[in-house]
Amino acid sequence: MTTRRDLLTMIGCGLGAASFAGWAPPSWAANPAGPRLMFVLLRGGLDGVHAVPPVGDPGYAPLRGALALSPAGPTAAGGAAFALDGTFALHPSLGFCARLYAQRDFLPIVAAAPPYWGRSHFEAQDCVENGTNSPSGAETGWLNRAVGACHQQGLSATAVTPLIMRGPAPIDAWSPPLPNRVNPILLQRLEPLYGEDEALAGAFADAIAEQGEETGIDGRIRGAQLAIGQRLPTIFAAAGAFLARRGGPRIVFVEDYGWDTHANQAAILTRKLAELDRAVHAFHDAVLPVWSRTVAIVVTEFGRTARVNGTGGTDHGTGGAMFLLGGAVDGGRVGGQWPGMRPEDLYQHRDIHATTDQRVVFKGVLATHLGMSEEVLARVVFPDSAGLRPAGGLLRRGVHAA
Amino acid sequence: MVVEAVRAAASAANRFGLGARPDEIAGIEDPAAWLLAQLRRPPDGAAAFAGLPSSLEYLRREAELNRERRRLRRLATATGTGAASAASGSAAAARNPLARLFRQAFGDDLRREALARWQIAATTTTPFAERLVRFWSNHFAVSVDKAPARLYAAPLEREAIRPHFAGRFADLLLAVETHPAMLRYLDQAQSVGPDSPLARRVDRRLARRAVRGDRPAQRLGLNENLAREILELHTLGADSGYTQADVTEFARALTGWSVPFPAQLERGRVDRPFLYRAAAHEPGMRSVRGRQYPDTGFDQARAILLDLAASRATARHLAFELARHFVADAPPRALVDRLTAAYLDSDGDLGVVYAQLIEAPASWAPAARKFRTPQDFLIAALRGGSIALGSRPQPFEWFAARLGQPTFMPRSPAGFSDLATDWIGSDALWKRVQAAEGLAQRVPRAGLDPAMLAHATLGPRFDAPTQAAIRRAEAPQQALATLFASPAFQWRV
Repeated sequence: MTTRRDLLTMIGCGLGAASFAGWAPPSWAANPAGPRLMFVLLRGGLDGVHAVPPVGDPGYAPLRGALALSPAGPTAAGGAAFALDGTFALHPSLGFCARLYAQRDFLPIVAAAPPYWGRSHFEAQDCVENGTNSPSGAETGWLNRAVGACHQQGLSATAVTPLIMRGPAPIDAWSPPLPNRVNPILLQRLEPLYGEDEALAGAFADAIAEQGEETGIDGRIRGAQLAIGQRLPTIFAAAGAFLARRGGPRIVFVEDYGWDTHANQAAILTRKLAELDRAVHAFHDAVLPVWSRTVAIVVTEFGRTARVNGTGGTDHGTGGAMFLLGGAVDGGRVGGQWPGMRPEDLYQHRDIHATTDQRVVFKGVLATHLGMSEEVLARVVFPDSAGLRPAGGLLRRGVHAA
Repeated sequence: MVVEAVRAAASAANRFGLGARPDEIAGIEDPAAWLLAQLRRPPDGAAAFAGLPSSLEYLRREAELNRERRRLRRLATATGTGAASAASGSAAAARNPLARLFRQAFGDDLRREALARWQIAATTTTPFAERLVRFWSNHFAVSVDKAPARLYAAPLEREAIRPHFAGRFADLLLAVETHPAMLRYLDQAQSVGPDSPLARRVDRRLARRAVRGDRPAQRLGLNENLAREILELHTLGADSGYTQADVTEFARALTGWSVPFPAQLERGRVDRPFLYRAAAHEPGMRSVRGRQYPDTGFDQARAILLDLAASRATARHLAFELARHFVADAPPRALVDRLTAAYLDSDGDLGVVYAQLIEAPASWAPAARKFRTPQDFLIAALRGGSIALGSRPQPFEWFAARLGQPTFMPRSPAGFSDLATDWIGSDALWKRVQAAEGLAQRVPRAGLDPAMLAHATLGPRFDAPTQAAIRRAEAPQQALATLFASPAFQWRV
């Protein structure tokens, strides 16, 4: 029998290969030309109105007050925003994303949300991750089920696997390693011990196979202390390098924290969005060889209140922004249906209404990019979602492996 | 001792405590009595924490530092040096003189706070009490990556949690929600009632400025962050039936709960780190979960908190969290029921709840076990290996961060998970093996007998295969690395 370790050696890849037992990969799984997908979850609730300000909406400036941005020039909330179309602009910290937009590789989608509208971070994140109609709808994650259904290799760029990547499909995890090498004899001694521990055996076998490796991804990552503001670019760069590698994973999950801006939002998001922008730039550069076959989806668990609260921030809301980016994306336009920002347009008089269920977008990407059938999407990946048709027209035609 | 008794003693030290020190299990004659006795005396720590500044002291010094920063910023603007431009990026931050000022002013204190906390964990003779303190510290999580809360996470544990962890939950809750750490972390300190005298005064001033054509400034108003997290995380729990209207009403009642102003601190006019700002309080009757609360100023939100503490949903939420932390990821329902009843019957006396936890047979069942979180793992190695901390906490803080659980830096107000699924992963286990080697290097070598040490710390969990693996090690340090990295060491059994 071929062990996983052998296989890793065979395909010349120190990391990322999931277990190959039990299925025959479709021809394109080993095909360097196959599609690549990165999924990014910004935990805490990114304020979509701040990231993609609807500057042309007459309701925007009055409701946003001191947080209002303008493409015409600097405001109290920051520099001049990048104009996208007649209605929307992009936050001034998102300069690289604006460049991608100009080359039609960046597609912001406004007023999107998971089906749960209850304003709890934790329940909303669970709902985004489990892919069902409710926070407790499933114990496994939809990205794991997608990895399993399309026989792909999946990688979670986290030390431990979050809900979205948990489930029956084997998933690798990677985070910047500790510097010391481990004595191989110690590993030999530990192997039989872990083999007897049901709860730990699988994870330990994977750890041994990967050896915290020596990914060759970026020597500078090894043992480096990630400086403030560099964490996300470093992880995005690694994710891009994994995806670009021959025989590497095709689906990668990345997460970030710190988007819960109840106070002093203008300053915090100027910094956080700049870090995200640098991360997107780093990802682009790392994944460049396969950029044309790449889609990244960036989402958050909810949008925030339309009005500024009493402390220069915004509270938990409903409709928010999500981004698609990559060479396979048909961008250069703003997606979604904007519900308007007049007081009477708001959901419960406070939030941006959600007009797009995030899963419609996820399904659209999985169907077009990964070639998954609508039936599998509606039954396995997003259970009981037959009523939600996959969104069409998100991606350029003909760039994915069909 | 009979096998059962040794097994229970090991559970007392490893699952209820922080990981056995070499002499600990042998010294436990009656495990239940050993645990209960720890609740009756104040937890260790008085000596380790002696001389650390109070929150009030931190607030004063922080106000001074901010005044100095403003002075430097003005100077920089005047001379055009841009010293305070606080450019983004790490290199710029390292050169940033303002960040340096903070380190100069508080770096020593932060190091001492961290070192004292590791010290107590490593050496305490009341490890069950210490685990409870940390359980509550995580229940009422505050993250130091939010700058205004940075100095106060450690004092929150010292000042609000240690004195109340075995008393009435209502007292603990009040102490936490009035502490500057929580008031700042969840943005309560700046929340102002939209119809409060203060907001009205500011509104009039803004109207005059608008007439003059000045740039509009921001209105003062409500921030509902603390109110929501109290309901969802600190008391009732998610999915317990409260509404958005309850959150907003509670947030209105909480307006005025704040920390003293810099000017007051500088004039030395305050004697505690909490300030009720009557002028910021939203006037009027509040309705939360169907109950009316007349406007009694500070006492309005206090009355709501006391009702929350007394509610059945809170009892059940806390009982479930405790049972899950000490017994199993999916705790037996009967145990949760028993703890819930103990809470309700005792008017929320946590000491009574802990006693029931200890007396319940389910707490000692063979199936009871928990996976050690990274902090648990590090502390167990420090205790088991009698590792000396030295004068710097940094190596241990670094391990904790790289293993995924940086001290006082949970990713959300929900705190760190204590579920096995959130910590078991190939990358995470690999890093534990790496950390085990690093920790083994720090164990004092004099008189070291790894097999004895393993037996003393694991008790009956020191099974034959683990014994064989340790015996085969080519050097004592490798034997200890094997112990710390072994699966037996990763579980609190």
